[in-house]
Amino acid sequence: MSPWEALALLLLLATGLLVVTLRNAIHAALALIANFLVLAGVYVALDARFLGFIQIIVYAGAIVVLFLFVIMLLFAAQGEVGFDPLVRSKPLAALLSLGVAGVLLSGLLGLKLAFSQDLQGGLPQALGPLLYGDWLLVLLAVGFLLMAATVVAVALVQPSRPLDALRPEERKEEVLR
Amino acid sequence: MSYLFASALLFALGVYGVLTRRTAILVFLSIELMLNAANLSLIGFARAHGLEGQVAALMVIAIAAAEVAVGLGLIVAIFRHRESTAVDDLSELRG
Repeated sequence: MSPWEALALLLLLATGLLVVTLRNAIHAALALIANFLVLAGVYVALDARFLGFIQIIVYAGAIVVLFLFVIMLLFAAQGEVGFDPLVRSKPLAALLSLGVAGVLLSGLLGLKLAFSQDLQGGLPQALGPLLYGDWLLVLLAVGFLLMAATVVAVALVQPSRPLDALRPEERKEEVLR
Repeated sequence: MSYLFASALLFALGVYGVLTRRTAILVFLSIELMLNAANLSLIGFARAHGLEGQVAALMVIAIAAAEVAVGLGLIVAIFRHRESTAVDDLSELRG
């Protein structure tokens, strides 16, 4: 393992730990951005350059910003609210997640992988023929899913207006309905 | 190979976050962490098995975007209704 690799993995785990432990929700979201930026660097190092940039644009640029908007709109940055119904649940949760890690690592330990594929740097020229070839149906399905999600997101946050806030002609329609 | 181990550890961190966080939006952040751990292992395996892994990771990113849009919409709607998104307050489905 090269020193750069070790540094990247250390940063990845450290920022991940910050995401799940910081008490301030905004700080947690910022740690998530840091995690995604390191992850983008790791993707580029793993011959997935296109995905590295997509990671920056979509995840760090769009998704986490959406999170930050919602946190700032609703929560005033308070992360830990409510009471803890299970006393001392944190060591239990740590034990459980260590168990998950143990299961996953034991699955990985038996693997013999030959890292010899030529990925052509993971550039869009290499991904495009696959995307519009074997994966075309999946691509269309994901596009449809994104459209449905957009409609649902808009419909969910529509304020339900009380009857007397409507204009008179609208009210007649509502009552008839 | 070390990236695959790091991906497993990141996934476990996400599990820890989901189990310990009490606000819906922070649970959601931990879920994003787990999605990215899965992506990292997909891209790690792509080096041994070919480019399909990277295409699958791209699809995971797109689906995560849809999931975030719907999930945050739900959180905003619940907050309007209940003035809280602590997951312990939301244990029953009826309004």
